Amino acid sequence: MSANLINFFIFPGGFFAVFLGLILISIERILVARFQGRVGPVFYQNIIDIIKLFNKETLIPKDAKDFIFKFAPLFGFSGMLVLVFFLPIPGVYEGVKGNYDLVILIYFMALPAISHILGGGASSSPYAAISVSRELKLMLVYEFVFIIIGFTLAIYVGNGSGEFSLKKIMDYQVQNGFFLFDWKLWPAFIAFLIFVLATLEVPPFEVAHHNHADIMDGYLIEYSGTPLAMFEITDALKIVVLSIVFQIFFFPSTIGEDIVINMLWFIVKTLFLVVFIALAHASLASFRADQEFKFLIRVPVLLAFTSLILVILSVKGLI
Amino acid sequence: MSIITRSPFLFRINTGSCNGCDVELATTAMIPRYDVERLGCRYTGSPKHADILLVTGPITARSKPYLLEVLDELPNPFVVVAVGTCPTSCGIFRDSYAIEGPLDKYVKVDVNVPGCPPRPQAIIDGVAKALEIWKQKIRIQK
Repeated sequence: MSANLINFFIFPGGFFAVFLGLILISIERILVARFQGRVGPVFYQNIIDIIKLFNKETLIPKDAKDFIFKFAPLFGFSGMLVLVFFLPIPGVYEGVKGNYDLVILIYFMALPAISHILGGGASSSPYAAISVSRELKLMLVYEFVFIIIGFTLAIYVGNGSGEFSLKKIMDYQVQNGFFLFDWKLWPAFIAFLIFVLATLEVPPFEVAHHNHADIMDGYLIEYSGTPLAMFEITDALKIVVLSIVFQIFFFPSTIGEDIVINMLWFIVKTLFLVVFIALAHASLASFRADQEFKFLIRVPVLLAFTSLILVILSVKGLI
Repeated sequence: MSIITRSPFLFRINTGSCNGCDVELATTAMIPRYDVERLGCRYTGSPKHADILLVTGPITARSKPYLLEVLDELPNPFVVVAVGTCPTSCGIFRDSYAIEGPLDKYVKVDVNVPGCPPRPQAIIDGVAKALEIWKQKIRIQK
């Protein structure tokens, strides 16, 4: 019981994940600045931002739906908090060891986007309404990609029948080689990277959360103070969760049995993901809403389906 | 609590400026040579996130209601910086029928950055001075 509480509130969930995520987001900002030839902020910049936002005045618009407006950030935050507790970290933490945690992962991954939609919809701003309609459209596509990738892995591991336990997906890879080096799953891997960019809303897919251009921060436009800080913390937790999911799906490698060394190895692998995100952030321009929708429905969906077909063929013994 | 003054969020509003000052403001954020992000600054899309308001332009009759709306929406404590000659004194547009400036008719201006347009170094100096004033305002509020 108390071990569960420690796992939920301190390590690896709760405080640890929040601080790790905030530092990762700051490192992403530093990397973007370095790629552009600037200096960038300090590595704990986002922690200072959060402390400041908790100290600021919270404004609530006159026309907003008060209750939903205030509590919408909690949906995404609690979803991500539960996921960090729920997911196994290779070599560090066992997770909850459910038989169907892949399905629960797919459900919970959608919660931050749903909290954006609820909060933006309740804030009564036309800019937030435009942003919510865009986010809804895009969410339908990128969550679809994630579901296909998850089911591809489940079919591959279960050898025809679905195997929805993340622990077994990791064990399979430890015995039979990592999926990152399996050519049948390379299309799914690229689709997963595109999903990461789309769900984090970094530049090529920034259209629902544009800062400088048409919709002025989108669903966040009416938020200030504590609820805004909750959204920032949710983003931080999301980077940690996506990194854990990436490692479970494609590269659950461990070094020995020691928890500390495995934790450092986990952070190193996470930093590689952050470097990739920063590189995309610094080098790519943003899509328009219709271009982004068309791109997402063509490229990653097709890639994920290619992997699914290859996996089905290999399960049938044809390749 | 002085650590939180290392995280100022900036919001800029153009009240009928010729865009000269806006270009200089953009260079402070985007050009490697003058990086305001190393002070922790970040340009935000909404005045409700902002701590420091940067105003450019002489406040035309058309843009005045939007300026007043933005001033209403800023959460306390905030600092106002007038960038360029126009919001400070209306400059060459002073006695025009279409001008409702200068800025200090509507709000107490904390920092004036004169120049037409001001150099990026001057703007960054203005932001750094605004940070000092912001720190004092936080102390008074406590």
